[in-house]
Amino acid sequence: MSEGTEHLALFREIDPASQAIEKLRQLGVDDKDMTIISGIPYSEKILGRPSTWTLVPHLAIAGFLVGLVIGLLLNLGTPLLYPLQVGGMPLLSIPTSLVLTFETSMLGLLTFTFLGVIWESAYPSFGPKVYRPEISDGWIGVVFRCPPEIHTQAHEALANLGAEWIHRTEAVNL
Amino acid sequence: MTTNSMPLTQPSAGETEHSEHLMLDPRPRREINNMVMEAMTTTPRSFWIIVGVLTVLVAVCLFGAWLYMILNGMGVAGVRRPTYWGMFIANFVFWIGISHSGTFVSAILRVFRAEFRRPITRAAELMTAFGLAAAALYPLIHLGRVWVAYWIIPYPNARWLWPNFRSPLTWDMIAITTYLLSSLMYIFLPLIPDLAMARDHSEKWRHKLYRIMALGWRGTESEWHRLRTAIQLFAFAIIPVMFSVHTIVSWDFAVTKTPGWHSTIFGPFFVAGAIYSGVAAVAMILFIVRTSMANMKYFIRPEHFDMLAKLILVFSFTWAYFYFNEYLLAWYGGDLSDWYVWAAITKEPYGWLWILMLTFNIVIPWITLWNKKIRRTPWIMFLIGFVINMGMYIERYLIVPGMISRSRFPFAWDGYIPRIELVMSFGSLCLFLLLYALASRLVPLIPVWEIQEGQMAHQLRRIGKTEVTSVSEIE
Repeated sequence: MSEGTEHLALFREIDPASQAIEKLRQLGVDDKDMTIISGIPYSEKILGRPSTWTLVPHLAIAGFLVGLVIGLLLNLGTPLLYPLQVGGMPLLSIPTSLVLTFETSMLGLLTFTFLGVIWESAYPSFGPKVYRPEISDGWIGVVFRCPPEIHTQAHEALANLGAEWIHRTEAVNL
Repeated sequence: MTTNSMPLTQPSAGETEHSEHLMLDPRPRREINNMVMEAMTTTPRSFWIIVGVLTVLVAVCLFGAWLYMILNGMGVAGVRRPTYWGMFIANFVFWIGISHSGTFVSAILRVFRAEFRRPITRAAELMTAFGLAAAALYPLIHLGRVWVAYWIIPYPNARWLWPNFRSPLTWDMIAITTYLLSSLMYIFLPLIPDLAMARDHSEKWRHKLYRIMALGWRGTESEWHRLRTAIQLFAFAIIPVMFSVHTIVSWDFAVTKTPGWHSTIFGPFFVAGAIYSGVAAVAMILFIVRTSMANMKYFIRPEHFDMLAKLILVFSFTWAYFYFNEYLLAWYGGDLSDWYVWAAITKEPYGWLWILMLTFNIVIPWITLWNKKIRRTPWIMFLIGFVINMGMYIERYLIVPGMISRSRFPFAWDGYIPRIELVMSFGSLCLFLLLYALASRLVPLIPVWEIQEGQMAHQLRRIGKTEVTSVSEIE
């Protein structure tokens, strides 16, 4: 976010919250200086916001590949180090290797997906943040950062749209 | 678009008809939060008595009996030649089956966007975790010398002890580990927003606990986007993992040349049976949650039992189809060993169990679940779920000790009389119930944000003379 003070406006409904985004944009607040905090997910289309980017799918693919390599090493590499002949089976067998390789690949995919969410969100993060507990009760928070000269204008505009609580940021420990 | 803070439409005759649907009966989010928190924090004396009794039973019947078996050897169990796989393995298969409910109800229904899933996913997902916890004990119990269990883990050592990755038993270990870890992650991800809700609505030790577990969640756009992406990935990816786990369990049997076990359809047969017993178990647990926890009648309604009953019916057909396949081909194949096995199962000594199994798994569901009134009566669905799980347990019993007791060597045929296994089986049931009871007071059993999202998406729309449900695409 750019320089300026952070503000939080709380709305009861999503329609005025999405209009607030538009209004802030008209006042010159950049999209990257705004965010919506809500108790349920709203799509970018509903909010009229640019698409959000996440690395999670890419990390999932990376995890799959890591799992695949581990599976292949366990299946095809270790029998050469620890040869174990059983019942006339070949030491290196593709059909049986597929089973374990599948499991390790999927475990890699799912673990990296999970860790991707944790890493990208910088969890755990208990430090001071802009938040109000009312948000988990269904209120919608519009967080924005704007230069001091348009504070009053922005507050008035959002109040006109139905914001019931507008305040400069009071970062709280979660 | 409106939020949930007010009813979506004004009450009307049409709405009265539809108000039995949770998605069409919205309440303010704050009220829903309070209802879920109240359900979690209400712990009457009877709850603690039940928890105390279950704890004692788990300590005595499961871990005490296990310790007794470790100290005295496997001889205290009923397993002996030729039935080396007894109730321990039947229990293992049964609990793995129960664990399939969570993934099926949650992941598959999420992928297909079946709206009725919303209030019941977490209750089912917890069954997966605790079912797997119970299941994972049995290979260790069955091992006998549990202190050498780590030998199956691949790690460099000087003794040349190395797992054989061509063995289904090794696949089992890897598959169960994969499924357990994946299921725990899959439970946790959608739980984060609800843990944040619990953090905002609790005090003292609960606040501290939920604060840590919520990881600092606020509900920003990027957090939601990441979470939804991850949940979608999980929902798709965990389905083949679920199928693989029970298929691999079936391969423990099918890759052997044991009569009755060596079958190419054991994989899908086991998966169908697992989902069948799992969904029936979900109906049971939902009834218990609905009747024993505050406010749950609002969330878990007859409509959910109705939908589960339809799933149960479908999987009853599927299971019957596979079972008939198994039976018919063995009968037609003319392999004498197979005939002896099926004679033991269908006549002496297990004939009465076989009849009981068919009655529980086919007759009772088929003659009852056609009836809408029965499907929508929670306590009857509990009974039907119980009966089906009894039937499915018998099926596993007949497959494991039943079939192996008729090996290819008639001179080795012998019966199987479970001994300490009976006590330990009861103990593992108590463990499952204990873990579930404790979790019900620590974890929001109802996914609040998913319910609010669903209620926002549902509206009544007038078409001609009537009102019909309309679902908006808000994801």
